[in-house]
Amino acid sequence: MLALPALLAALAAAPPIAAPPAGAPPPPALTAVAADLARAVGAPLDDRRGLALRVETRAPALAAPLETALADALARQGYAVAPQRGAADAEAAARAGGQDWLLRVQAGLVPGRREIALVGEVIPAWESFFLQRRPGARAVPPRLVQARGAADPETLLLGREERPAGAPFARVRTLTRLPGRVLALAVGDAGDGPAIAAAMPGAVLLLSGDGAVRARREPDRAGWAPVRDPAATLAIGDFGGARLAVQWAGAPRTEVLARRGDRLEVVASLPAAPLCAADGARVFGQFVAGTGLLADLLAPVVDPAARPRSERTLYGVAAAARGGTYAFAALGTDLNLVLLGPDLEPAGPVLAGAGVGFALADLDGDGTAEVVTSSPTATAPDRVRVLAPATGRPLVFESDPLDGLLLAGAGGDLTGDGADDALLGLVGRGPDGAPVTDLLLVTSDLRELP
Amino acid sequence: MPTLPVNEPEPAPSPERSPGLAILVLVAALTLPLPAAAGVRPAYGGEVRVALPAAPRITDPALATDPGDLLLVRAIHATPLELDADGRLSPGLLEEVPAPEAGGRAFRLRLRAGLRFSDGTPIAASDVAAAFVRLLAREGPAPNAWIALPVLGAEAFQAGRAATLAGVQVLSDRELLVTLASAMPEWPWALAAPAAAVVSRGGAGAGPFVLQGLDGAGARLAANGLHWRGRPFADRLTVKGADPRAAARALSGGDLELVLRPEAVPGATATAPSPPLLATYAVVNWRRLGSGAERVRRVLGALDRAELGKLYARGPSAPTSTLVPQPVLAGPAAAPASPSAPGAPGIPGQARLVLLAAADVPDQRALAERLQVKLFDAGVRAAAELEGGGRFAARLAAEDFDVALVPVQVTALAPALAGGQVALATRGPGAARRAMTELAGLPAAAAAPRAERLTRTLDLVPLFSTGVRASAGPALQGLRIRADGAIDLGDLWLLRREGP
Repeated sequence: MLALPALLAALAAAPPIAAPPAGAPPPPALTAVAADLARAVGAPLDDRRGLALRVETRAPALAAPLETALADALARQGYAVAPQRGAADAEAAARAGGQDWLLRVQAGLVPGRREIALVGEVIPAWESFFLQRRPGARAVPPRLVQARGAADPETLLLGREERPAGAPFARVRTLTRLPGRVLALAVGDAGDGPAIAAAMPGAVLLLSGDGAVRARREPDRAGWAPVRDPAATLAIGDFGGARLAVQWAGAPRTEVLARRGDRLEVVASLPAAPLCAADGARVFGQFVAGTGLLADLLAPVVDPAARPRSERTLYGVAAAARGGTYAFAALGTDLNLVLLGPDLEPAGPVLAGAGVGFALADLDGDGTAEVVTSSPTATAPDRVRVLAPATGRPLVFESDPLDGLLLAGAGGDLTGDGADDALLGLVGRGPDGAPVTDLLLVTSDLRELP
Repeated sequence: MPTLPVNEPEPAPSPERSPGLAILVLVAALTLPLPAAAGVRPAYGGEVRVALPAAPRITDPALATDPGDLLLVRAIHATPLELDADGRLSPGLLEEVPAPEAGGRAFRLRLRAGLRFSDGTPIAASDVAAAFVRLLAREGPAPNAWIALPVLGAEAFQAGRAATLAGVQVLSDRELLVTLASAMPEWPWALAAPAAAVVSRGGAGAGPFVLQGLDGAGARLAANGLHWRGRPFADRLTVKGADPRAAARALSGGDLELVLRPEAVPGATATAPSPPLLATYAVVNWRRLGSGAERVRRVLGALDRAELGKLYARGPSAPTSTLVPQPVLAGPAAAPASPSAPGAPGIPGQARLVLLAAADVPDQRALAERLQVKLFDAGVRAAAELEGGGRFAARLAAEDFDVALVPVQVTALAPALAGGQVALATRGPGAARRAMTELAGLPAAAAAPRAERLTRTLDLVPLFSTGVRASAGPALQGLRIRADGAIDLGDLWLLRREGP
């Protein structure tokens, strides 16, 4: 039998399957992938219809619904399906039960992708006259079948493993190190899977979900107004023909960028700063002239006539990848973080004392984003903190002290477990004294937890 | 604690470090336990209030020499070059650090594009050329002429024998060529000194702030949105004088954000010392003392300078043994005391020696009184006379003293330039030229003995150099003391914490 982790890793490296054709609403993901596997099993051979079905999943909640979907799909192929649960030796149990086949299925979410993968072993279980002297022998060789399909939110929810008792809420690890100071981060689908965008004083980078640099652009700074504290806003979303938009403080307009090989090329420009984007929504704003701060202006569309709502200035705005109660958050220069609903109106308590490196991310997959932020203290080292404002226990995680300053953040699913992760930029000094930024992955993916 | 400044300067083309600079950088880098808010970027707005031992009075870069005046000059004016966090030269108004040409005799200075003074007028290469000319004022004092003295034709221009400064050629709106009289590859270090700042014809500066008012109480400034690095973080800046008690009271009461004094303010949230670059020299007036001068010189030379600094300097101090302050040279850390002078009768024909000292520079009064005692012990009666700013300079220029204690705030970190600055302040332009010529191009190891010989030749008695301590209130952020002791006031900002 193949080990499940190795199998899932191999599947992760494979190209993604095609999306279902447009038209009728797609069937539930479990139904679709079960049907695919049943087709791979094929019709009963020699009228041998008795099939024992054994389903094993890493996430316990996934096993029963998947078993139901598979039983239904296999029945449509003509099998008489007998679910098998609990037996230590599944094959022996199938034989003892007089079944013709044992279909042993292992299932799990594909790391790094929003997909579910099924791998089945079709094992003959009937007794053969010619094998009387070797009761354990199989009449025909077993064969391997597999199927993979896009995982809908329900499947992602079921496929998410439960955190073991005593396990920490999250883990923080360095995804990659970038030379220089990262000013802004964005996480999202840039067209070919999870991607990270990082804006720096002299460049914008597009990275893969695992932190490898894929493309870059160095802007022409001619005509830019000087800004003492360099700053930028950055978003990955639908910007009309391209999925990445960036504006540096002092630059006249936002650049909309498309990837061409290892370069990011300007395909359009916008007269508003892209503050964040997620779940089909985009938020635009503007820098206060001559500064790296944002005006109190949050607009769902580019509106050159829009005016700030107040004199308040903002450090940044974040979006939850899948919306929810707290779809957006705006951090003021008074260090108060205002949680906003999908309509950009206040939707929760104002959190005092958030740092400028912050993100909204539904780490635990409960449908409500947590606030992942730094620790804005004047003397202590920085720390990653995870706040769950909707619960009675706001601080659910605090990291060890970090050697550097958390100055940028973004949320999105980078590990492919279906729940958000947060990415924070920790700015520090490299061995040569030059500024470097460690991109820290903050995740509750159980595969990442110790 | 991470002390990474969140504002990164423009990339610099890695110029050579100044000889002896390492020690300064070490001092500046290792002793900065100042607030650096974790996870917080600078905020704009508000007023930063700074207290000095005395209110600043002079805003003209060509004339300012006191530490307080230099602080104000840096707030109002911009220099062609700056120092980065590692103590290296970095671009300021110039788009890059000029590389030496013609064997270290010529430098091509190219301005950034789009520069403007705070009054909106464009900054041109001719303004930089005018700054050099201003330093060589033919009439009145020219305390910062050391920057332009090495330029070809400076002597003839200053003496009125030439109508223009021959070594400065304006090539275009943004470029000029500076040719020196002799090779001095380290000359660009002078361009980071506040006296090298560029001033418009109307008197406007290009620094982070614009002067709004200056009187006996201090200076009031507003943000300059046209500064080449962008507007400063604070909207307003006030710089005033305050005695130690008043400063401490104001800082603890939240009425000040920063106090720069020799001594730390008790109860301040954070303090950090600046490099000791305010060097004090005893100048002996041979013309007035005649044969008694040698006796006075030996008494002063026998002083334990380390002890002097320890006892009479309230701030960080270091003994000085040559005309180049010890921190600029990577030489021996402590200056040896000369053999004690034997007891002897008083100076013939000199009833009471006049010991001139600056009244408004910290520690000078205490030092003068100590020297009075030492001279008396050696049989020389002295009367300390303390004079403020202009009067002190005038008496110094007129040689109206027997012994003068001359404090020099050294602002260039290359030994040749520091030596020239000290020699100009104590012995005049001829001595400055000689010092710079002799020290030019020398590495630190070779500069130290040469500086020692020059000190004897110029008949200076180096005493000690001191720094100040920056005491900050809890809200102040962005404070960084450069290797030359300067603070970019435009980088200061206030941490705002308000309840939801």
